[in-house]
Amino acid sequence: MGEYIIKRTLQMTVVFFLFLVFSYLLFNAIPGNAFSNLLLNPDLPPDAYNRVLELYGLDKPLFERLQLYIVNFFKGDFGYSYKSFPKTPIELISERLPRTLMLFAIVNIVSFYTGFFIGKILAWRRGSQSETWITLTSVFSYTVFYPWFALMMLWVFGYKLGWLPIGKFLYPEKWYDAPFDSDIVFSSMIKFTIVVSLIQFAAYLATRGIESLSSRRNLRFASLIAIFIGSYFYWNNGAALIKKPYAADIAYHMILPVMVVTIVAFAGTALLTRTTMMEVLKEDYILTARAKGISQKRIRDRHAARTALLPVVTSFIFTIVTIIDGSVLTEQIFSWPGMGQLLLQSVLEEDIPVAMACFSFVGVFALVAHLLADISYSYLDPRIRIKSQG
Amino acid sequence: MNENIEQDLQKQLRKEAIRRNWNLFRQSKLGMIGLYIVIFFLFLALLQPFLFITGIWNKGVYDPVVGYEAIKDTLLVVECPKEYPTEKYESMKDCPGEGEINVKRLYLAPGVEVGDYYEAFIQPAPPSSRHLLGTDSLGRDVFSQIMEGSQVAFVLGLLSATLGVGISTILGTIAAFFGGRVDAYLMRQSDLILMLPSLPLLFIISAFAELKVWHLAVVLGVLGGLGGSVITIKSQALQVKVKPFVDSARITGGSRWRIMFSHVLPNVAPLALLFMVFSVTGAIASESVLSFLGLLNIDMSWGIMIYLSQTDGFIFSGLEFWWLILPAGLAVTLLAGGFYLVGRGLDDVFNPRLRKR
Repeated sequence: MGEYIIKRTLQMTVVFFLFLVFSYLLFNAIPGNAFSNLLLNPDLPPDAYNRVLELYGLDKPLFERLQLYIVNFFKGDFGYSYKSFPKTPIELISERLPRTLMLFAIVNIVSFYTGFFIGKILAWRRGSQSETWITLTSVFSYTVFYPWFALMMLWVFGYKLGWLPIGKFLYPEKWYDAPFDSDIVFSSMIKFTIVVSLIQFAAYLATRGIESLSSRRNLRFASLIAIFIGSYFYWNNGAALIKKPYAADIAYHMILPVMVVTIVAFAGTALLTRTTMMEVLKEDYILTARAKGISQKRIRDRHAARTALLPVVTSFIFTIVTIIDGSVLTEQIFSWPGMGQLLLQSVLEEDIPVAMACFSFVGVFALVAHLLADISYSYLDPRIRIKSQG
Repeated sequence: MNENIEQDLQKQLRKEAIRRNWNLFRQSKLGMIGLYIVIFFLFLALLQPFLFITGIWNKGVYDPVVGYEAIKDTLLVVECPKEYPTEKYESMKDCPGEGEINVKRLYLAPGVEVGDYYEAFIQPAPPSSRHLLGTDSLGRDVFSQIMEGSQVAFVLGLLSATLGVGISTILGTIAAFFGGRVDAYLMRQSDLILMLPSLPLLFIISAFAELKVWHLAVVLGVLGGLGGSVITIKSQALQVKVKPFVDSARITGGSRWRIMFSHVLPNVAPLALLFMVFSVTGAIASESVLSFLGLLNIDMSWGIMIYLSQTDGFIFSGLEFWWLILPAGLAVTLLAGGFYLVGRGLDDVFNPRLRKR
């Protein structure tokens, strides 16, 4: 296993190097960029023009620039943004990334959970009228033309009913005399979410060994209620009380994007679970379990669903890989100032240092996640583990 | 003589296999629903040229891009009161009512008095017997645009799916068959493609190349073909490679390429066909997204219809102009969903573990 990881890491380094070269050349192929637009200012004297070019090293030939870029990249120097000058791409990314991760972590966990649940039931009720209809609905939400659907939802909930805000991260008028930055409030929200989900996860792990299905469910439900009560006390006491209205404002803006993306995203998991579960239900050990007279619910939840979980978990890991890529459209439609919007804006405005930094960030993210997926898969599926050893 | 009999036998066997698979496919309800949807859109795509050639539709009126028909309507000129409610109107929203127009909106037409009848062009016009789905804001027939859009969707979806699946099947089989360095190279190449964020990449490409339907189909096909599907096809080919018939073909002296093309490839083909059907869904969605963002150089497609309805501001006017918003979005969704359902049906046929009995 160790040898495998080392070999993969070496290959990954080469791939990443190629990726850097390829994306640099790609950006170089676009005619013009934001920087040359700034230099087109007619008030700029010619010697100043040349000096700026020289200062930024843009007068050098392509190959030399590429070399410089890669050397500086590994030194951790990404240059400065062309559009918002004193800021570096790293600063911009570290400001935007938590927002995207928060939004899509919630979406992915919720949609994975509901999708798995629905898919399980679909496979179990195979051939019934309700199965056909629910599957058709899931296919509809899986293949729905996403921007159109999101705009329709915005119209219904944001405009017609007026329940939820139309896009954006917060209401600026509520933040005029706020004692702190929105990022500080947001980071405390992130911490809160992480702690809550860890507690619930721990409750899941603790109740895993309990045999009786109904008492297990009751215990999990009880822990959920305990979390609700605890969070009520947390937000109404001490330091969190001042932040509460501002946190509520951000959370209010998160509802609609989370809801829309979940509706679109759960269907993929549901359909995948349906297929794998149908395959599993054909296995001999399910027949054995039935012959032993185990209750239907137990066969479904403990015998079939756990085996069917394997490919679903893999697809979940691969979904995490595409979070940033997938966030581009969502954040554009809901004007959510996250990583996807930064990536899209920098590409459209040809703010090349930022765009390159975003691209390489997405690349590193994808590579590491792929490696993790391969390793975790070989732990989850014993058949692959044997193959990689032999 | 002998050869003839063998050929006939083969033909019969093939027919038999097709009939058997068709019967299996017919059992899956979802697959049949998908097939009906796809056939419906294929019918729409083929109907439009037929209508133009036979002259049932006049090209000047019904052309999806340059067609125009002015639909006239006579409106009663009224003056909206300053205070509500009055006898005629409950609130500000009710004035002007149906078939009426506020005199204040006619300040550019002098000499029009309250109580006159005023002739106006309505664009977009609501559905009528002449225009089944009404006209858009430029007076073009929406139904004809839907037909044109389905032609674009079929050409693009099928072309890019065929290209992509062709590339990934051949590369995946090669990777599985030769192993070693070729395999490592191909796998890392698909890693490289998977690393690139797809939508921004297409943005960059559209920045230095004018993308038409054909170009987009090639780009999507190559990107899809070199990406993740190679890995899946390879794992399927690896399973075929260890089957006994491949060994026996090798023992009887079949060359490497012959074994690859006539023994391994046909066994990978069902999975490849499945992939093709699913990637049509993806191609249709990406085309619509790109046209929706206004990055393609296409005259008319479903994405462009939604783009136009959004830039003209109809998408937030609610369902008052439903014929501009619903048909295009539903068409994209339905056709993509139809192909997906057909894929599910084929999955039932090719994967014996998924069958009911």
